[in-house]
Amino acid sequence: MEMINANLATIWLVLIGFFLLYYALSDGAGLGIGIITLFTGKRERKEEMMRAIETIWHGNQTWLVVLGGMLFGAFPLFYSIVLSALYIPFILMLFGFIFRGVAFEFHAEAKRKSIWVFSFGLGSLMATLGQGFALGGLLGGINVEAESFAGTPADWMNWYSFFAAMGVVFGYVMLGAGMLIARTTGEVQRRSFRTARLSAVLTLVFSAVVYIGTTMLHPEMAVKWRAWPPSLLYFFSLLTVAAFFMYFRSLEQNRQLAPLVWNWCILIFSFIGLSIGLYPGMIPSVDATSLTVSEVAASDTTLRFMLVVMAVLLPIILTYTTYSYWIFRGKTGGAGYDEH
Amino acid sequence: MEIFQDHVFLSRLHFAFTAMFHIIWPVLTIGLSIFLVYLEARWLMTRDLRYYHHARFWMKLFLLNFAVGVVSGIPMEFQFGTNWSAFSRAGGDIFGHLLGFEASMAFMLEAAFLGIMAFGWKRVSPGMHFFATCMVAFGGTLSAFWIMAANSWMQTPVGGEFVDGKFILQDTFAAIFNPDIFWGTTHMWFACLEISLFVIGGISAWYLLKRRHTEFFLYSFKAMVVVAIFITTIQVINGDGAGKSVFDNQPAKLAAIEAHWQTNPPGEGAAWNILAWPSKELQDNVWEIGIPYALSLITTHEPTGQVTGLLEYEPQDQPPLLVTFYSFRIMFFLGIAFVLLMLWSVWAWMKGWLSAERVAEQKWLLYSWMAAIPLSYIAMEAGWAVREVGRQPWVIQGLQRTAEGVSPLPAATVAGSLLGFVVIYAVLFVVFLVFAKGVISAGPDFSKYPDAPEK
Repeated sequence: MEMINANLATIWLVLIGFFLLYYALSDGAGLGIGIITLFTGKRERKEEMMRAIETIWHGNQTWLVVLGGMLFGAFPLFYSIVLSALYIPFILMLFGFIFRGVAFEFHAEAKRKSIWVFSFGLGSLMATLGQGFALGGLLGGINVEAESFAGTPADWMNWYSFFAAMGVVFGYVMLGAGMLIARTTGEVQRRSFRTARLSAVLTLVFSAVVYIGTTMLHPEMAVKWRAWPPSLLYFFSLLTVAAFFMYFRSLEQNRQLAPLVWNWCILIFSFIGLSIGLYPGMIPSVDATSLTVSEVAASDTTLRFMLVVMAVLLPIILTYTTYSYWIFRGKTGGAGYDEH
Repeated sequence: MEIFQDHVFLSRLHFAFTAMFHIIWPVLTIGLSIFLVYLEARWLMTRDLRYYHHARFWMKLFLLNFAVGVVSGIPMEFQFGTNWSAFSRAGGDIFGHLLGFEASMAFMLEAAFLGIMAFGWKRVSPGMHFFATCMVAFGGTLSAFWIMAANSWMQTPVGGEFVDGKFILQDTFAAIFNPDIFWGTTHMWFACLEISLFVIGGISAWYLLKRRHTEFFLYSFKAMVVVAIFITTIQVINGDGAGKSVFDNQPAKLAAIEAHWQTNPPGEGAAWNILAWPSKELQDNVWEIGIPYALSLITTHEPTGQVTGLLEYEPQDQPPLLVTFYSFRIMFFLGIAFVLLMLWSVWAWMKGWLSAERVAEQKWLLYSWMAAIPLSYIAMEAGWAVREVGRQPWVIQGLQRTAEGVSPLPAATVAGSLLGFVVIYAVLFVVFLVFAKGVISAGPDFSKYPDAPEK
């Protein structure tokens, strides 16, 4: 009990990390599929792709809402500074969510369906770019004075965040292709194998650049690379490389589910690695005085109460979420589910 | 225009616009999902296909409405950080986790079971489908509770201390169950039911007027008349309670609602202004039409009970007067009008005019039900204007001023995203109306039959 009380902020950091990863792995695939539709010719194929996530995209997107709320609750200062500093990327993401979100329901009702298929693709791309630039803007460092954002709205516009955004775009495309491999058959699946290979190579390139760039920007991370005995950074970096290897192997073997699972491993390992590199910094700054986890956390009363609630709630959420995945498991098929 | 270069004003407009647009959708989600639970329960009990077809028909509209509600709701959650970062920093210790609970307890539940409800008709057993619908309805109402808890706390911020511009939470339950939450939550929840019943009843009235599926829609119309007997009355009584709560907790807001300037001296009663033109420059009403003693009677139940006047507050601490005063009157008179519409409907029913043969002749009654759809939304928007504008100049009542809560952003940035929201929401609104019209003119699909789940 005392251990929990002493480490409330860190426990919440892990939980937030879990929400973020869950969101990126699940909705990332949905957004990636949206981007893939933009580069797909036939409307039937695009619609087949939409059907692959028709029943789950909404639940997956909700993890971002949970993430946002919990971040606001557990780390109000982080929420307040980061969202106002990265105003433009976040608004871009929100607009993207609107186009993506109405696409499914309006598509079902519309006579001219192609508009809403495009809305799905465009919205997905906008939301992904928004998230990518936000990630780049955050990792690149934020100018903070007196617990408030002190920069300009365009601070995030630089090469570094461009590379981060491209990394997120191709990472999501990779996830989306993995999901399509698992959920579809025939032509769509065959093409997805190709998309997966190409996007994986590009993801590897861009994320390597971001990894190196982050180390150069933040001396506290560079210190960890040089430390002896070697820090866990090495361990997770090696795991990431190994997972990439397994990923490409599973594509060669035409496996159905394995590419998606290895893709998840890649993201989980690299995310943990990056977090270890920056810990305890939570808002990396431009001048090496990053705000730490405990500095941006809410009061212990709040953190404790939220933790008790989450301890009860999270197992329930995971149970019914798993159940709703289970009902619509397997290949989507051509006809889709009962029209509503 | 100078005000359009003021980032505080633009951020307020930004919030007001996105919030007033967003709230249109969840109110129907909450009420309609409860109706769907009822329909599915009746269908499971009686196996009468009429209920099944009703459930399938209203669910189409439900899903369309839900989609717009979700996409306009997500920006709300992020807006506190993007546009109101100083408020988020000051109130985050309590406000943030209430939003987090809304997302994880309520919205997640809705989202996960919505898939089963919309696509699972043939995938799960009827019992499981019914359970999914129940969870969607429960999620909707729970969601309203958490959002109202957060908003109520802004009206009556208790449960902790405000130190160095930051609220530090000490008693979580005191903060959640703050003095305003009971009236705030119930008044909003009944508003959801009232709007939903007018939407269901109003659309049914349209079919009755067109003599389409008369038997079918007479059922839903009469069901809504029965519900209206309770809901419209309860809402007026509940509103009275909510008003007393404002009197107890936010006297400046009450004085602004009633354009009441002078605290009445002992032995004298305060008059209730039916109509008035309050002016901040004059610090008085330009003109007023009042009923003597009525304000004292309404708020304190005594003819000479003391009611604090606006003059007790410095002009910069007084809420905006015209919006608060007239929004309240719009809400109030519409609320009364809905009770009268209910009485008229009951009277027509007792006269036997609501039979399948004769109901289409009740043109004006049916038109009034159709008009009640937009009017009930207007009443709700006006109510929110009273609640939020009446709290000004505070964002957290008595602790943080609205002007101190905004993000340090250039006006152009805020104006840009505001413009984006206005354009996108206008398109959404029109597209929604077109599709809703499509669903309604197509009418219910009687060819749908419940099958055993595919295994």
